[in-house]
Amino acid sequence: MTKIRIVASIGVVLLATASAGAVAADMENAKKKVTEVCQACHGMDGNSPVAENPKLAGQHPDYLAKALRDYKSGARKNPVMGAMASTLTTKDIADLAAYFGSQPAVLISRY
Amino acid sequence: MSAATASIAWAQTPAAPGDPEKGRQKVAMCQGCHGIPGWRTAYPEVYQVPKIAGQHPAYIVSALKDYKSGARTHPSMSAIAASLSDADMANLAAYYAQSGLASKP
Repeated sequence: MTKIRIVASIGVVLLATASAGAVAADMENAKKKVTEVCQACHGMDGNSPVAENPKLAGQHPDYLAKALRDYKSGARKNPVMGAMASTLTTKDIADLAAYFGSQPAVLISRY
Repeated sequence: MSAATASIAWAQTPAAPGDPEKGRQKVAMCQGCHGIPGWRTAYPEVYQVPKIAGQHPAYIVSALKDYKSGARTHPSMSAIAASLSDADMANLAAYYAQSGLASKP
């Protein structure tokens, strides 16, 4: 019994580690890109100081990633964001989406 | 890039100030997706519907205009935006802009 329990525990730990590894974002890479590319218009934490530019802080990461993919592919058209997104790799997009999604926000889902 | 330069680069049409109360009267078409935390879009591209309460009103208006013009496409949003006048967009933007969390945490 004990042996089975130990084996099962190891399995759970391995699974947990594997799934954490799959979604873990590279925050250092994100901060570097934010400083270079995003910050001037969206603010370092994504709470954009400029009314025309959306607040990104606390937004859903999967939505942010979709927006960046669409800007990069041209499916969504904006001269500024098209140029910015064209420089980003798939990894950059995932890192940035996780970074902005984790920042303190005023955005909420609401009726 | 300074904030002023960024503002000029992005500004297309200055947004007319909206009436949040009139916006609230039109919000029924929005809340089925944007009012439910974590609600997801339909197959094939599944992602969480963006949070819009607390967003800058000028950005909400520009997003709706882009859906209406076709610069940005999404099956539901394109259909909804097509039904909105400029005044509706400004009113909805005003409503959602004031309904986020009160202040930055």
